[in-house]
Amino acid sequence: MSLTASLSASTNARRNPRTSLLTKRRRRVGVLLILPALALVGLLIAYPIGQAVYYSFTNWDGLTTQWIGPSTWVQAFHNPTMWTALKNNAELLLSVPFALGIPLLVAVMLHQRVAGWKIFRSIYFLPTAISWVVIGLVAEHFFAYSGTLNSLLSDIGFSGAHTNMLGQENQALIALGITFVFSMIGTNTMLFLTGLATLDPSLEEAARIDGAGAWRIFRHITLPHLSRFIQLAFVMTVISAFSALFSLIFVMTGGGPGYSTTTMEFLVYQTGFNQSMFGTAALYGIILFVITAIVGIVQLRLIGAKD
Amino acid sequence: MTTTAATVAETLVTPDAKPTRSPARRRLGRTLIFVAMAIMAVIMLYPFAVMILISFKTNAQYLIGSGTSTQTWQQINSTLPIWQELWNSTVVCSLSILIILVIGVMAGFSFAKLQFRGGNVVFLAIVSAMMVPLQAILIPEFVNIAKTGLTNNYLGAVVVYAALGTPFSIFLFTTYFRRIPDELIEAGIVDGLGYWGVLWRLAMPMALPAIATVTVLQFIQIWDDLLVGLLFLQNPSERTITVGLAALAAGHTTSIPLLMAGSLVSALPAMIVYLVFQRFLVRGLTMGIDR
Repeated sequence: MSLTASLSASTNARRNPRTSLLTKRRRRVGVLLILPALALVGLLIAYPIGQAVYYSFTNWDGLTTQWIGPSTWVQAFHNPTMWTALKNNAELLLSVPFALGIPLLVAVMLHQRVAGWKIFRSIYFLPTAISWVVIGLVAEHFFAYSGTLNSLLSDIGFSGAHTNMLGQENQALIALGITFVFSMIGTNTMLFLTGLATLDPSLEEAARIDGAGAWRIFRHITLPHLSRFIQLAFVMTVISAFSALFSLIFVMTGGGPGYSTTTMEFLVYQTGFNQSMFGTAALYGIILFVITAIVGIVQLRLIGAKD
Repeated sequence: MTTTAATVAETLVTPDAKPTRSPARRRLGRTLIFVAMAIMAVIMLYPFAVMILISFKTNAQYLIGSGTSTQTWQQINSTLPIWQELWNSTVVCSLSILIILVIGVMAGFSFAKLQFRGGNVVFLAIVSAMMVPLQAILIPEFVNIAKTGLTNNYLGAVVVYAALGTPFSIFLFTTYFRRIPDELIEAGIVDGLGYWGVLWRLAMPMALPAIATVTVLQFIQIWDDLLVGLLFLQNPSERTITVGLAALAAGHTTSIPLLMAGSLVSALPAMIVYLVFQRFLVRGLTMGIDR
């Protein structure tokens, strides 16, 4: 016993300098290999966050800076346009249940594997590949006065209900929300279908034999199994609602009519590049950053709680 | 007809305590699902139908709502710089993805296999950069890049795309390389490959599926993006096809059939990549869940 111990101790002693030399080398290589990543992410993502905070306290047109303290912040919070943008963002969140619910339903239907389900799957995913610029252009045609929506409405006898959704302040945001839901269907369906594929089919079979109906199976077996996937889809959808609508808004409404479809992300662009108020635009960016960070942290907490 | 059959079957079955589903009712259920899925398919194919149908009209035909013509397609080359823009998209995508892959493989290998002090903290910091939306840092980013003059060539957009794509790529490669046994790395070192050699000759070839995933995801993302291209490619001659399309749409004089034809051309490459590499995409999306 003591012999083995001393033996191994002596081997350790002999090996130690060599090991630590190797370890040192490994660590040095390790640091070297992450340097490019650190430089790229540091310079182009981390550093601008700091800059944005600094510039929000200055009067800045992109060329000259002048420290003016927190007055930009005071102005921003008294600016009704910013509150309109935040309100639009909040209202767009109402589309999130649809952006999750429809894909969930679609995925469950696909999972039944009726004839042709593979073809349907490919068809549902296909719009995921195309740019939201293209989807926005098509949606513009759909909602236009002489577009598909109105001809559908008159086909089913509602010719009096002719609308020009994108041109009306109280409807444009709804049209944008519908387009957003359409754009999220592919990705979220894909997520849920992957989740369903990991579900053990014998579980459902056992429940069915025990006499559980389709709804109960869904409610008590399928849904709990999908919870992680639903969480991920939820966060991705919420973050998209805050930061991925730029293309749709740019093409479909340009933020209008009025400010009725201007969201925070679009307000950053407008304030910076249409009005050249870089300090204020940077400030709006920080607010957007804080909102998405909160969503992200809540998500981490949720996952942490589950693990 | 089917409904009656189902009701009959139902009444026949009802005396049974266990609601074992009769074949007829089951068939009805599956027929209903099929119909629902077919309706859904029509909705999801709608954008493609619109693009194809409208692109085969002249602007006048589009406005009056009837007639077809191939005129738009015949003139697309002379009215839109379509080949130039496709080329620009290809260049920007390739350069960005190359940077994302090289930096991602190196850092991922380091985080997964070359434990160094503080590595985990740095990893978390870089991965959390995934959550930063570009709009949050758009203004300083634009000013910084514009000051370097990079907005006057492809590189302005390329470095921004690279920075935005790198955190996810690092996350994916780190997850992937963690599965490679340490013994294999050590064996490579003992054989005198050195860490650099182990990385490129042993680890990298094993990560080919992850490389495919990152490539496909980033290709679609960058090909389809508007915001970065719009701001960081200041020369109209270097615009990507998506930016060109959006710029065309913003100028209100454009003919809608031309826009639809352009949309279709812009959508095709991403759609092809997508259909061919579907499974890599799914894997990338769910990488965070099934470990």
